[in-house]
Amino acid sequence: MIKLMPGLDSSAAALQAERIRLEVIGQNIANSNTTKTASGKPYERQIVKFETVLQDKLGVNSEAVPLLVKVAKIAKDTKPPKEIYQPGHPDAKPNGMVDYPNVNVHEEMADMIASSRAYEANLAAIKNARSMTLQTLAIGRR
Amino acid sequence: MTPISFNSGLSSGIYSPELRNLRPQAPKENAKGIDGGEGLDPSLAQMPGVSNLNQAQVGFDNVLGKFVNEVNSKQMAAGDAVTGLLGGKNVPLHQAMIAMEEASVSFQLMVEVRNKLLEGYQELLRMQV
Repeated sequence: MIKLMPGLDSSAAALQAERIRLEVIGQNIANSNTTKTASGKPYERQIVKFETVLQDKLGVNSEAVPLLVKVAKIAKDTKPPKEIYQPGHPDAKPNGMVDYPNVNVHEEMADMIASSRAYEANLAAIKNARSMTLQTLAIGRR
Repeated sequence: MTPISFNSGLSSGIYSPELRNLRPQAPKENAKGIDGGEGLDPSLAQMPGVSNLNQAQVGFDNVLGKFVNEVNSKQMAAGDAVTGLLGGKNVPLHQAMIAMEEASVSFQLMVEVRNKLLEGYQELLRMQV
């Protein structure tokens, strides 16, 4: 395989990973008021964990093998649920307290900003790789 | 897609005949130029450097053909990605865009290589004998 644009594989993998992270953040925000899930408990905040993977050496004939990033795991946040006093709520416990998800919307917004900035950074890396390659091709033009 | 048929036309139509015409003459002239006689030709041909040179010249149109094929397959992959994306087949947007970009950049490289080859050929044609 001919490799024309540098670092494309890592950037593409990072874009995919950030997409998943944005999806999970959106899911957290969407469920920030869900007091009952299939398990009977309130929704629990999901956290995305990234890890690097070695790209398989087949097809890459240089010794510098790019490190890719992928979503290793989508784990549950272990923070306890927020208790709010709402005696009339259908999911209220006998003492009148309702368990709300351990999602803090402000925190999610901050994560979302970080995630979309990371996405932009990877897009910028790809754009830069492309323009470098095109400029290099322009050497032969007169 | 028009670029694909264009590719295959290039590989068989323009590159190969020139190269085939140029190839057999070049090593012979070299050999004569160096030792000045026919007798030493076999030993010269067995020298590692010379035979490697010969092989490299034989291989170049193969390399070019492979490259054109690869450009073609990149175009096909880009086409598949776009079709998958538009058909709702869970192809991520960035993957389709990257595939298209890769296809276009490799196509441009191919065009540059073609321009260079043609330029060299025309320079040879203009040469005074």
